[in-house]
Amino acid sequence: MEHKTPLIEVKNLKTYFRTDNGVCRAVDGISFSISAEKTLGVVGESGCGKSITARSIMALVDPPGRIEEGEILFHRKGEVVDLTKLDPKGRTMRDIRGNDIAMIFQDPMTSLNPVFTIGDQIIEGILLHRKIGRSNARRQAIEMLESVAMPSPEQRVDDYPHQLSGGMRQRAMIAMALSCNPALLIADEPTTALDVTIQAQVIELMRRLQKDFKAAIMFITHDLGVIANIADDVIVMYLGEVVESGTVREIFHNSKHPYTQGLMNSLPVLTHDRGRRLVAIEGNVPSSFAVPDGCRFAPRCPHVMEVCRQRAPRLLDVGNGHRAACHLNETVALEAPV
Amino acid sequence: MSENDILLEVRNLKKYFPVRKGLLQRVVAEVKAVDDVSFTIRRGETLGLVGESGCGKTTTGRTILRLLEPTSGEVIFHSKRLARDGEEYREVDVASAPPEEVKALRRDMQIVFQDPFSSLNPRMTIAEIIAEPLKVQGISRGQARLDRVAELLKAVGLNADQMRRHPHEFSGGQRQRIGIARALALNPQFVVADEPVSALDASIQAQVINLLGDLQEQFGLTYLFIAHDLSVVKHISNNVAVMYLGRVVELAESDELFAHPLHPYTEALISAVPVPDPDYQVERIILTGDVPSPVRPPSGCHFHPRCRYAKEICRAEAPDFRDDGNGHFVACHFSDSLKLRALKAA
Repeated sequence: MEHKTPLIEVKNLKTYFRTDNGVCRAVDGISFSISAEKTLGVVGESGCGKSITARSIMALVDPPGRIEEGEILFHRKGEVVDLTKLDPKGRTMRDIRGNDIAMIFQDPMTSLNPVFTIGDQIIEGILLHRKIGRSNARRQAIEMLESVAMPSPEQRVDDYPHQLSGGMRQRAMIAMALSCNPALLIADEPTTALDVTIQAQVIELMRRLQKDFKAAIMFITHDLGVIANIADDVIVMYLGEVVESGTVREIFHNSKHPYTQGLMNSLPVLTHDRGRRLVAIEGNVPSSFAVPDGCRFAPRCPHVMEVCRQRAPRLLDVGNGHRAACHLNETVALEAPV
Repeated sequence: MSENDILLEVRNLKKYFPVRKGLLQRVVAEVKAVDDVSFTIRRGETLGLVGESGCGKTTTGRTILRLLEPTSGEVIFHSKRLARDGEEYREVDVASAPPEEVKALRRDMQIVFQDPFSSLNPRMTIAEIIAEPLKVQGISRGQARLDRVAELLKAVGLNADQMRRHPHEFSGGQRQRIGIARALALNPQFVVADEPVSALDASIQAQVINLLGDLQEQFGLTYLFIAHDLSVVKHISNNVAVMYLGRVVELAESDELFAHPLHPYTEALISAVPVPDPDYQVERIILTGDVPSPVRPPSGCHFHPRCRYAKEICRAEAPDFRDDGNGHFVACHFSDSLKLRALKAA
C-alpha cells in the first residue's frame, strides 16, 4: 500500500465529539495513505467512523466534533500541507476544498440545492476556483455534464434537481465534483441510494472518469461487492479504528482479521449455492460512546482470547503491505475465510 | 404435505391508483402500480419478489394482504388450521372477502415491514407492541398473554425480561426481531416480509436472514419475501419473481432463474450485481436510462426502451406472460430465440 508517492497521508487521526452525554470517539487514531490515481476503498458498518474520516479530510466536521490529534498531509504542487493545521474557513482550505479535493455524497437530493439549477451549482464551483467568465464556465459545465453521460446536457443544465432522476442527480454531483479537476475525489456511499442497474452505470462511469481525469478516489461504502469492483486498496474500519488494510486481493482472499472474515462470511453472495447458512457475527456494534477495553471487536469475536480484553492489538504488517490489528497474528496464523 | 400443496394463488391482481388534478380533483390518469400479476406460493416455501424501486413489489405485498384495496383480481388463500376435530381446510378469496372475514384472515396473514424504526410505536413497550395483535383479535389475556409475549421474544432471540422497555432502547437488528415477533404473535401461516433486512448492517442482516429461515422451519411458515437485493433473494427463496413497472416479467425456481434467465431484464439485473470477489470478472450489461415513470409507462413491452434486443413488435404489443416449461414463466416476445447470459460461476 505504501508504493508510489502518496497523495494524501493520514496519520493517527482522532476526531472526537464532546457532548453532554460523554465523548464519542468517532475516529480514534487511524492512519492510511492514498497514492495518486489510485482508488482506496473504505469499508465498515454504520457508526464505524468512515464518513467522519472523510469529513475530517474536507475540514467539514461540525461542532461539537473536533480533530483532537493527528496529521492529514496533502501533497499539493510539490509542497506538503497539513490540513488539520489550516483554518477550516480560511483561504487555503477553501482553495483546496472543491478544487484539489472534492466530495460526492450519498444522497444527491439533499446535497444539491433545490432552488438553483444544476448548471448554476456547477458554474458556482468553477467561478470560485477558476479565472474565467460566466459564459465560459457555463460551456464548461455543459461539457462536464456531457462527460458524465447526462442525456441532452444543453437542456439538462437548466434543470432543477427535482426534475432529474436519482441516477441523473448523482451524475450531476459527479460533474460538479470533477469540474475543477481535483487530485482527490472523496465519494461517500455514492451508489447506496441507487438501484442496482443505476449503480452499475455510476460505477462504470466513475471508473472511466478516473482514467480520464487522473484523480485518486477515496470510495466509502458498506457494500463489499462494490469495493471488490472498484478499489485498488482497502481499509476496513470498526468502531473508529482501522482493523485491516491492504490491496483488494489481500483483503478479500487472505484476510487476517476476524471482523473482515466475519463480514465476508455473513454476506449472501449471488454466486454461492442457495440455502447455505450464513455465518453471522454475534451481537451488535457497541456504542462509540462506550468502546470496549482492549480490542474493540473482542466482545463479538469468535477467536477471542484473554489478552484481547486487556490490551488493544497494534496494526502490524503481515506481509505484502498487508496490515491487521489482531493478537492472533502475533501468535498463530488465521485461517482464510471459506 | 404434498409437493403441490399450494397456500396462496394470486390471479390477475391489479392495483391502480388514481392521479387527481385541479380544483375538482378529477381523475386525469391512473398509475398501474400492480398490473395483472399472477403467481402461486406453495406451503412452507418462499417466493422472492425482486425489482427496482417503483416497480410495484411493495404494493403487490400490501394488496395481497388487503392493506390496500385491489382494483381487480383474485387472491386465493388455502387455509389449513389445526382444529379440535383434526385439520380444518378453508379456501378464501382475500381480494373479495368482506371486512369481518379480512379481520379473521389477519390471524393467518401477517407482515414484517422494512423500516424497524418507523414501524414500531415509540410510546408503547415491547410487550404492548407484540401483544397488540392478540388484543385486537381478542386472544388470551392477563398472564397468559404475557407468557405468549415472552415465548415470542425467546423465539426471535431476545430476552423476555426486556419486554417492559421501549423501542428506542434497541438497535436496528433487535427492532427488526421485535417486528418479526409481532408478526408471529397470531401464529400465522403466511408472512409478507417487505425488505426486512435492507435497513440493516451486513453483520446484523445475516442474523435476521438466519432467524427468518429458522422460524420458517420451526413454524412451517410460508413467505413472500420482497427485496431489491438479488443476492439476498437468491439465498432465501425457492422461487423468484422479477417485477418491472407493475408487471412480473419472469418467474422461475431460484436456481433455474439464475442458470437460464429468459428475460433480458433479468439478464441485466444478474450481471449488474456486484460480487464481493476482486477476481470475479464479468462483462456487465449496462442498461441505458432510468426506470420510466409508472404514470406514463412505455407502450408494448414496458422494458423495450432499455432492452438491447428490442424489435418493432416490442414497441407495439405487450408480450404474454406464459409458461416456458417446468414452471418457468416469462413475458418476452423473443424468449425462445434469445441466448441470454446466465450467472457466471465464481
